[in-house]
Amino acid sequence: MTLEHYLALSAILFAIGLFGVLTRRNIIGILMSVELMLNAANINFAAFNRFLHFDAAVGNTSVIFIITLAAAEVVVGLALVMAIYKNLHTVYVEKYNILKG
Amino acid sequence: MIEQITFGMLASVVILAALGVVLMRKVMHSALCLGLCLAGVAGIFASLGSDFIFGAQILVYVGGIAVLILFVVLLAGQASDLVVRQINEQWLAAVLICMIFLWSFAKIAVQFAGARALTDPAPTTKAIAGLLLGDYAVPFEMTSLILLVSMVGAVIFGRRKVS
Amino acid sequence: MLEYVFILPLLSFAAAGLILAFGKWLPWKGASLGIAVASWGFVQAAMLFFKALQGGLTLPYEVSIPWFNAGFLSATLGVYVDGLTIAMLLVVTTVSLLMQIYSLGYMHGDPRFKRYYAYVALFTASMLGVTISNNMMVFFMCWELVGVCSYLLIGFWFEKASAASAGKKAFITTKLGDLGFLAGLLFLFTLTGTFQISAIMEQAHAGLLLPGAAAIACILLFFGAVGKSAQFPLFIWLPDAMEGPSPVSALIHAATMVAAGVYMVARLYPVYALSTVAMDTVAWTGAITAISAAAMALVCFDLKRVLAFSTISQLGYMMLSLGVGGLTAGMFHLTTHAYFKALLFLAAGSVIHAMHTNDMREMGGLKAKMPVTWITFLLGTLALAGIPPFSGFFSKDEILAAALARNPWLYFIGAATAAMTAFYMARAFVMTFHGEPRDAHKFDHAHESPLVMTGPLMFLAFLSLVSGWALARHELFEKLVSFEGVLPFGLAEVSKLKVEVSSALLAAVSMLFGAWLYKSRPDIPAAFRKKFSFFADMLDARYGLDAFFLAFVALGDRLARLLVKLDFDFLDQIAIDGWAWLGLKLSQLQGRFDNAVVDGAVDETGAIAMAGGRLARLAQTGLVQNYLLVVAIALSLFAAITFLI
Repeated sequence: MTLEHYLALSAILFAIGLFGVLTRRNIIGILMSVELMLNAANINFAAFNRFLHFDAAVGNTSVIFIITLAAAEVVVGLALVMAIYKNLHTVYVEKYNILKG
Repeated sequence: MIEQITFGMLASVVILAALGVVLMRKVMHSALCLGLCLAGVAGIFASLGSDFIFGAQILVYVGGIAVLILFVVLLAGQASDLVVRQINEQWLAAVLICMIFLWSFAKIAVQFAGARALTDPAPTTKAIAGLLLGDYAVPFEMTSLILLVSMVGAVIFGRRKVS
Repeated sequence: MLEYVFILPLLSFAAAGLILAFGKWLPWKGASLGIAVASWGFVQAAMLFFKALQGGLTLPYEVSIPWFNAGFLSATLGVYVDGLTIAMLLVVTTVSLLMQIYSLGYMHGDPRFKRYYAYVALFTASMLGVTISNNMMVFFMCWELVGVCSYLLIGFWFEKASAASAGKKAFITTKLGDLGFLAGLLFLFTLTGTFQISAIMEQAHAGLLLPGAAAIACILLFFGAVGKSAQFPLFIWLPDAMEGPSPVSALIHAATMVAAGVYMVARLYPVYALSTVAMDTVAWTGAITAISAAAMALVCFDLKRVLAFSTISQLGYMMLSLGVGGLTAGMFHLTTHAYFKALLFLAAGSVIHAMHTNDMREMGGLKAKMPVTWITFLLGTLALAGIPPFSGFFSKDEILAAALARNPWLYFIGAATAAMTAFYMARAFVMTFHGEPRDAHKFDHAHESPLVMTGPLMFLAFLSLVSGWALARHELFEKLVSFEGVLPFGLAEVSKLKVEVSSALLAAVSMLFGAWLYKSRPDIPAAFRKKFSFFADMLDARYGLDAFFLAFVALGDRLARLLVKLDFDFLDQIAIDGWAWLGLKLSQLQGRFDNAVVDGAVDETGAIAMAGGRLARLAQTGLVQNYLLVVAIALSLFAAITFLI
């Protein structure tokens, strides 16, 4: 396998994730799409580490960081989702327009 | 040969599961697809020879994050999910944007044509540990701080108001 | 002596100033200074006169200092003395001295005694300036100054409204004449290119001036003489000028100021003699003046006014003489007339001083009360009427002879005037001194005048007696004043003897007839006057000339009032109300502009801000995905641009 395959894969995954962020009506769906995008970036890092910078493990280290931070982000995000759900009783984002105007 | 098949199967799992995440009507199904996708990505890591992050992906992403999302979906899901459309009206713009992104990424990726792996995959754990505690010590500590902060934040956000 | 001639006017000017400034502390309140200066002038003039008659002077004598040089015009300041000048100098200084002595008595007790002498000194100075100046500009300046002094002296008793207006009238009428004088002077300058009298006369003698142009200049200049010498039609000021004191009348209206016009024509005689038109204008104006004034004197009851008309008439004679080429005759008559007319005025002043009235109808029988005045007045009357051997006879005869030589009509007018002159003088004499006193009260208070007043009378009477005969003898006067040039017309031969005899007879007969008429049969003149009241009234109204000139003044007044009305009602309305209206309209416009445009701009700015806000608010949907979409679009745009290029 060449680098292009992995880059193509990560690109497609990222695009799908982007599409999901922009179009999902469910807030949890958006969060999940964000996870997809992060994973696409992870694949990129790992692929570059394997093909171009195989002597050091910098790419893998970056993946570790991203995974950690994604976890933290999901925790906070979901806590926020729960808080919003308690107030607005809905998970559909078009209802979240208090800042409208 | 084996490598290509393996890659092809893993790639298709990942992509199909991702499509499932963004297109499924029921959020429950999306969450489950997410889990599958993340597992597929772990497989990709493995095919890249990154053993540690393969393990970390499974543990954290699939075991932690996907499960967490499932919990929240179960808590906040609604019966109306089945009949309601899940894609909002700006899908066309989103499609175009994704196309443009793909095209520009392709243009970048072309520069890396013909890059081949020159060495066999090696165990990375030691190397990662060496970096984490060496060159990247400060980000490592910061990350732990962020984790602490996010935990505190999550607790605050989930708190019941004292009346 | 000739070298000191220029001092004469300067000394008089100085005397005038000193009398005004220091008169209070001088003896006789400044009169002494005036008389002293006048006596010195008289002595100088008399010495010059006698020396000139003997032929001991080189004439003409000119001395001057450079005055200015302005390229096209250069002038010198100086004196020009010839026989004419000397004759005039003697006349002016003699009469000035005698009337100043006379005024010591006449003006005694007047509150403005000092000012009177200052004015008289100023007048004498200006008249001397006119006489001796060598430059027409200075001549004109002194001419004007003479007019000013006449105004001051005629209106001396300005508390009387009639005196003040008489002074004004004199000044304005002579000023009217001076318009013509100035025009003529400037025209003469354009012809000759100089104001120097000697240069002008040289050019005239050399024939460098065209007769037509010379005629125009001369007629314009003559206009000034018409005003100053009270010719027809500008004589209207002279009868009214009798409001002034009698010595003033003697000085100004007998001898000097009115003679200035005659002197001017005589001085520029070479220029006049170039053109028949100019000479004829002078002659006929003089003739008309002579006879019309004599007619007016026939019906006048004011003693001084009779003398005034007589002066006008005699001035007409002088102009007539000059106009027919008799320069010598005219100037001779000027000299003799100065003496006997001054005598008559001073004597009339003596009578008026005694009787406190001018009206002859209130006089009568004064012979007994005022013998000296009576005899001197009689001598003056005889001289004026032209009875030989008095001075008037000699001079008048020469004029009549010259007139006859030119044009018989002029002679007839002159002869008729002579007859009328003798008649009205006899009338005045008889009405004043003979017959029964008509106002007993005034008659009781009358007394003879003091010596200081009768002294000059006697001296003048002596001059009236001898000056004519003395100067006509051996053609002495002709040696002094004569015209050597060529006259523009021919003269006929006349028999001088015939003229003399006929004029003497005419004068004697008229005089006796007049004396008998007014002494024995005063009712006939009264009836005559009633029968021909139309003519009498016309003569009283001075041929309506006063009304004529007054109409012009009234016209000017009407015009001025119309312009004032125009200014106030029309221009001021436009200028003031118009500006106010304009200001109001402008401020209204500005107000509307302010409301609509300025406020509108402010309001619109706010409205635009709000509209902009409303527009911008559309982007604030509150939906995160919209924001994300925008970010993604921007990124893709950057990507597209980066990867397209």
